Amino acid sequence: MPSEATAPVVQICRNCGGGAAVDVHFCPQCTKILALGRRGDYFSFLGLPRKLQIETATLERNFRALSRQFHPDYFYNASPAERRASLERSSYLNDAYRTLKEPIARVEYLLELEGMGTAGPAESSRQVPPGLLEKVFALNEELDEIREARASGSAVDELKKRLERAREPIEAIRVAHEEQLQELSAQWDASLGSHASEAQRREVLTALRERMLERNYINNLLAGIEREMNA
Amino acid sequence: MSKVVGIDLGTTNSLVAFVKDGQPVVIRDRSGDGLVPSVVSVSPEGTVFVGREAQRRLLTDASRTVYSVKRFMGKGVEDVGGEARHFPFRVGASREAKDGVVRIGLGDREYTPPEISAFILRDLKHRAEEFFAAQGEPDSEVDRAVITVPAYFNDAQRTATRDAGRIAGLDVLRIINEPTAASLAYGLDKRHTGLIAVYDFGGGTFDISILRVEDGVFQVLATNGDTHLGGDDIDLLLTERVLADLESPGNAGSGFSRTGEIVQHIRKAVIQAKHELSDREETEIVIAAHTGPAYSRRLTRADFDALIRPIVDRTLEPCRRALADAELDGSKIDEVVLVGGSTRIPLVRRLVGELFGKTPHSELNPDEVVALGAAVQADILVSGNRDMLLLDVTPLSLGIETMGGVTSKIIMRNSTIPATGSEMFTTGVDNQTAVDIHVLQGERELVGDNRSLARFKLRGIPPMPAGLPRVQVQFQIDANGILSVTATELRTDVAQSIEVKPSYGLTDEQVEQMLLDSFEHAEADFAARLLIEAKNEAESVLMHTEKTMRSAEYAEIAKTEFTLGEQKRIEQALAGLKHVLTSSDREAIQQWTHALNDATKHLAEIMMNRSVQAALSGRNVNDI
Repeated sequence: MPSEATAPVVQICRNCGGGAAVDVHFCPQCTKILALGRRGDYFSFLGLPRKLQIETATLERNFRALSRQFHPDYFYNASPAERRASLERSSYLNDAYRTLKEPIARVEYLLELEGMGTAGPAESSRQVPPGLLEKVFALNEELDEIREARASGSAVDELKKRLERAREPIEAIRVAHEEQLQELSAQWDASLGSHASEAQRREVLTALRERMLERNYINNLLAGIEREMNA
Repeated sequence: MSKVVGIDLGTTNSLVAFVKDGQPVVIRDRSGDGLVPSVVSVSPEGTVFVGREAQRRLLTDASRTVYSVKRFMGKGVEDVGGEARHFPFRVGASREAKDGVVRIGLGDREYTPPEISAFILRDLKHRAEEFFAAQGEPDSEVDRAVITVPAYFNDAQRTATRDAGRIAGLDVLRIINEPTAASLAYGLDKRHTGLIAVYDFGGGTFDISILRVEDGVFQVLATNGDTHLGGDDIDLLLTERVLADLESPGNAGSGFSRTGEIVQHIRKAVIQAKHELSDREETEIVIAAHTGPAYSRRLTRADFDALIRPIVDRTLEPCRRALADAELDGSKIDEVVLVGGSTRIPLVRRLVGELFGKTPHSELNPDEVVALGAAVQADILVSGNRDMLLLDVTPLSLGIETMGGVTSKIIMRNSTIPATGSEMFTTGVDNQTAVDIHVLQGERELVGDNRSLARFKLRGIPPMPAGLPRVQVQFQIDANGILSVTATELRTDVAQSIEVKPSYGLTDEQVEQMLLDSFEHAEADFAARLLIEAKNEAESVLMHTEKTMRSAEYAEIAKTEFTLGEQKRIEQALAGLKHVLTSSDREAIQQWTHALNDATKHLAEIMMNRSVQAALSGRNVNDI
């Protein structure tokens, strides 16, 4: 926590004109709730380091403590400006909590913060990640054959078995990916407190980003198999 | 300072509660009854009855009496469909308005469901005001309320409930979810921490909410439910069963014919049987001959359980989905709380117990616990009580229509509220200045399978080549779970005007008009009541006078004790009153009643003296 004396002023209180540092929610001078202008990212807003392996208990505790500070329920009799501020701060808090609670959403958010988001329009999920080309090719071939077999009236049980078999290698990749994500997350966290160079950290982020893109692609494949199962 | 209350606006019954010295209390009538049946009846003269009286009128004037109106809140005409035929009142499209909002026709007037609900709310408001006045409160006006809704209510249903509050002249402080309200009432004693499942099975809706309670914060983790599943469905099933018996070929010749009133008698009888089976193994559905066809049928608990099992089973799947969303299995739940009248059914208790592997709680009255919680929340809002905090979620995902009729989700279900989400829009044609946006709620992929909430038209986009404008549409769900939308063109930082067309709701103007109408209506109601009272008084004076005039004693008095013209004055007043009594002129009726009272004053004195003398003459002085 930066001390108030040294932290730069980034927020101006609309009530008294006093200044406040980032992630300060109430004006240090007049104690009124501050409008949500310049704010920290989700991690700093929730009082957490920008780590991927966070302690759930800490996240939950900080979330509850902040909710108790500025939930709209506690500003019902306040001025319209304060009510607005409480609604905005609570909404931002809830959005932050929801994002950081989910491990995958957390990684995506970190990548976005670091300017390496996966949701950009350039990154179409239809583009096959290079590492998966071979497996995807095999799967598509098998799915085509299954569709043909279905059209010519093959037994449903038989088709189901083939689909199960087709899913296995993809499912295996998914499990391996989960592990890699965990590992990379740990690497990222370790790089924060260490002497790791900016280049080394970028490397970890790039690897994380690739896994995430592949992961989205794998999930789409699995959803496709699921659809065939229910067809 | 005016008063604040918590209101449970239920499908079957409604209640009002308030916090007294830190404890929530249900406001009861003089006979100790806290429940106001959610029934509204409008007489041909336009007089509105609510509660018990309206419930009685179901048996005599079914087509002018509405129950279970909650089922129609926030609904579109096409949602009602075949269900309408189960009700004795007209429900469906408006004859004039083309807004798609369901109308309920009573006589020649049409009401929207929020207007009917507003009658109930106004009754509760009056009940509370009378209570506070009787307590000697200097300001007994009730103008603010927290109103509860089923957790699984969508935006349209919540908005309709808020509109009902406004039409009733209430400032709706907050719309809160029924299971969450119940958890607040249960959490009062602070013993309860950990994971709680609230199973709320009411008259018309079912909710399941999973909460974590810690440090006084009641955080909903997941909620699920069915806004069209409740005790009503059980009643309908039993009613249909009886009707099938009565209409069977074997019963031909019994003279049975289905009318709204007879169906209501049957419904009343099966509801009674249902209640009895909560603590008996066997009962009888009895319909007395004078109320319709004479009928009786034995019903055992086992038969009843088998009959309703499919309905109760439909509550279990939402429970499993809520647990899955909260990433928990049933055994992790520390306590299960039962809410709603339908949880009195032993089969419900047993199945819920099995699902969660523990005996459910039911220390608090399942009919009252929601209103108590609403009162607690009202207290938190206005009194600065910070002991507790409710963190609720939005039950359904919110999205917009994208290419190909697919729903793109913007705020996921079970997100803690308030919450925001945003989406970028651009133009498809050069110099396009407006964009259409269709807002949806639901979990399904295709637009047609989700609930249409509203269509927006974004206007005032500065003319630019296609694809260049960057319009950010921001969705905000407030602490009531109600959506609002704002938009900004980011390149020019110009806020866009948004034209909202709710798909199944009332516009602000309509609500405003209904509020005004309700004032007039309230005045008309009041006038109608005064007229009835005046007529009643006139009739009673008339009857007494005529009775007296027919007596032998009167003839004697008229001959011996009346002054000149006295008899004539009485006769004139009598004729005058009789004449105006057929009109609706309250003032004239009151004037002639006065005149008759005046004219008979002397007569009354003479009669009184005579009866006193008669009484005394038979007695000894010592007896006095």
